[in-house]
Amino acid sequence: MTGARRAALRSPIETLGATAMQVAREAGGITLLAGRVLRCLVPPSMDGRELTRNMYRMGNRSVPIVALTAFFVGGIMVIQAGMYVRQFNATGLVGWGAGYAIFREIGPVLIALMFSGRVGSNNTAELGTMTVTEQLDGLRALAIDPIRYLIVPRVVAMMVMLFILTVVGDLVSIAGGMLFSRLLIGIDPSTFYYSLVDNLDWIDFVHGLVKSAVFGLSIALTSCYFGVSVRGGAVGVGRAVNAAVVAAAVSIMLLDFFLTFLLP
Amino acid sequence: MSEDRPATGPRQRIERLGAAALDGLAATGQLAGMLGATWRGVVRGRRPPGEVANQMFVVGNKSLLFVAVTLGFIGMVMVYQSCLQLERITGDLSRIGPEFLKLLVQDFGPTITALMLATRVGAGIAAEIGSMVVTEQVDALRMSGVTPIDYLIAPRFIACVVMGAVLTVFGVAIAYLAGGLTAWSSFDLNPRLFFDPSRVGFLDLGLGLTKTLCYGMAIPVISGACGLRARGGSEGVGAATTAAVIGSSLAVIALDLVISGVGLLLVGHGR
Amino acid sequence: MSAGAAPPRTIRFDDVWKSFGDKAVLCGMSLEIRPGEVMCIIGTSGVGKSVAIKLLIGLLRADRGEIRWGDLRLDSMSEPEMIPVRKRIGMVFQNATLFDSLSLAENVALPLRVHKGMRMREALAEARTRLDQVGMAEFAGRRPAELSDGMRKRAAIARTLTLDPEVVLFDEPTTGLDPVNARRIDRLIEKLSDDVGVTSIVVSHDLTTIFTIADRIAFLYQGRVHVCGTPAELRSSVDPVVQQFITGQSSGEMETPGF
Repeated sequence: MTGARRAALRSPIETLGATAMQVAREAGGITLLAGRVLRCLVPPSMDGRELTRNMYRMGNRSVPIVALTAFFVGGIMVIQAGMYVRQFNATGLVGWGAGYAIFREIGPVLIALMFSGRVGSNNTAELGTMTVTEQLDGLRALAIDPIRYLIVPRVVAMMVMLFILTVVGDLVSIAGGMLFSRLLIGIDPSTFYYSLVDNLDWIDFVHGLVKSAVFGLSIALTSCYFGVSVRGGAVGVGRAVNAAVVAAAVSIMLLDFFLTFLLP
Repeated sequence: MSEDRPATGPRQRIERLGAAALDGLAATGQLAGMLGATWRGVVRGRRPPGEVANQMFVVGNKSLLFVAVTLGFIGMVMVYQSCLQLERITGDLSRIGPEFLKLLVQDFGPTITALMLATRVGAGIAAEIGSMVVTEQVDALRMSGVTPIDYLIAPRFIACVVMGAVLTVFGVAIAYLAGGLTAWSSFDLNPRLFFDPSRVGFLDLGLGLTKTLCYGMAIPVISGACGLRARGGSEGVGAATTAAVIGSSLAVIALDLVISGVGLLLVGHGR
Repeated sequence: MSAGAAPPRTIRFDDVWKSFGDKAVLCGMSLEIRPGEVMCIIGTSGVGKSVAIKLLIGLLRADRGEIRWGDLRLDSMSEPEMIPVRKRIGMVFQNATLFDSLSLAENVALPLRVHKGMRMREALAEARTRLDQVGMAEFAGRRPAELSDGMRKRAAIARTLTLDPEVVLFDEPTTGLDPVNARRIDRLIEKLSDDVGVTSIVVSHDLTTIFTIADRIAFLYQGRVHVCGTPAELRSSVDPVVQQFITGQSSGEMETPGF
């Protein structure tokens, strides 16, 4: 409490400088980790059991939450579109509008945020607990490289799983959109469907999926980094999870911005 | 970890689904009870002097940069994507600014700001309270005759409701500004056409405000409940923090769906 | 077991310094550990006993000084260079550090799969015989969280021994255990030294353990080895600090930080 008070009394420039230093240190650490992960991937060698175990666990944990989120999001998009449908009487554009927004933007970003909240933070907590109970040093003492054995399978698993979950989530979201547009604004599912396929390209769908793979990589790297750099018991683990989800959210938004401009 | 073990058949899966639904209902009931207790705590509970101001600082000032960065970028992306599509289909970008503001005020602004707060503040609340639980500080509070809800949750609740509203206004402003700049620099759209608030009505403001307040109440209660349920060392705190992020994010999205649905019906009756 | 392939090597700490921030822990520690002996390092809490053995396998880095194992300079090795050394020098941590997500058998099988290229099935079979040697075969399928501290430590010892190390480092092997379990661990360490000729370095402040198993004892005080000798020599030592530690008196010559 006194810490926060003291921080309040510091000059804004000082605070900004300290924040910038902190961000730079974390970004540096994450980049370094990315390099070490990459070195283990060329040529690819990792523990297959760890990979499948993590993929199963991450998928199992996040499918319900992602499906539920995607379903709600489909509904929300249709409601937003519905406001205009009433106004302009443009029933033929709802599928297009909702589909475009879901495929390119809302789907990948929201699913990535939920994935980060569920799988990313869980991963940070797990690695953090292993770090504070010296299990990482235990691996090193057994002459096993923790990066290769623990981190690499998690990074690969998260990238693959988020990609798959985004495909599933997009579809659930569209299904949700169809249902809600039938219920709330009385648009026939077939009208919705043709509005979507006539106006959208494959490229819109792929645009979102490329984003999701990159988001998966960044969530994986940030969550692993904050997990292995935990200091100080239970309090440290809680703080690390908090820092990891915040960093993941920022990096998702930043990457989304750059990818939107870079991708077709 | 029971989720690691695969269910063996469809029957178990259905049973598990049913159990999850019941758990969900029970949790919602508990949360409603806790919301009530928190209100009571806000109205007439004891809390440490200065704690509300302190929490406002933690929730508000410390999230300022985070909200600015995330909402700024999402504003740019949304305007860019919409302009791209509109240019292809109709070629008329003059309506994009007012419509974007309407969308921001009544839905995206409050919701995305709240999702960011669920991440930053929700996780923070659960981590902090969870750590206090596993180090038995909360038991010490109970022993001295103070209820943890009055002492720990109520100040955070007030801070989240107030600062959530402030941050939402701030976030909407940043996203709108960033969007306008994008339309101007990438699509050569006249800023005077973009910055035009004429499409925002009282219903939009009402919807936006309702959402902001509901999110502001949901996040601290859910995260606080997760924190208070923490058990057993660093693993427990980690699990509580995870549950807080996912629980409050999901609550934000579900509330958005419900409130937006009601909003749509109101629009329908108005016409 | 084929521990005798390499020639016996002496471990030497020579003027080793290590500090954390501005807190100096080791200040010129020197110690020689002969092949095949059981060396116990004792001293008050926070004196740097665990730090010393973590320096030996590169989990921590010394600020200056030399650490040698035969003709190998361990203190200047990089992390990849350390890997072959860690296969020959095993360590049993204070809190066992078994992996939560794996069963005991899977824990023990892990180094076998990674370093000896065994398939899962062979590795698990081998792990079971290893667990049997420490009397833990019946718990092979359990997760570490379901077991007591003593059981976890025995399993951790089994896991460390899978690579047939020449040297084993024990960090507080009996701390926090009841006397029966503690004596079991003592017997395991003695057996390793007598039957296989493993060099053991045991960090502890459990005096019963130390006087049962030690060939020699190094008493660490103020960042260096204050006295080093056989248990009998230490018992009859006239040094006031050593006497105070052995007899467990709260007042005396010894300067304890933080009081």
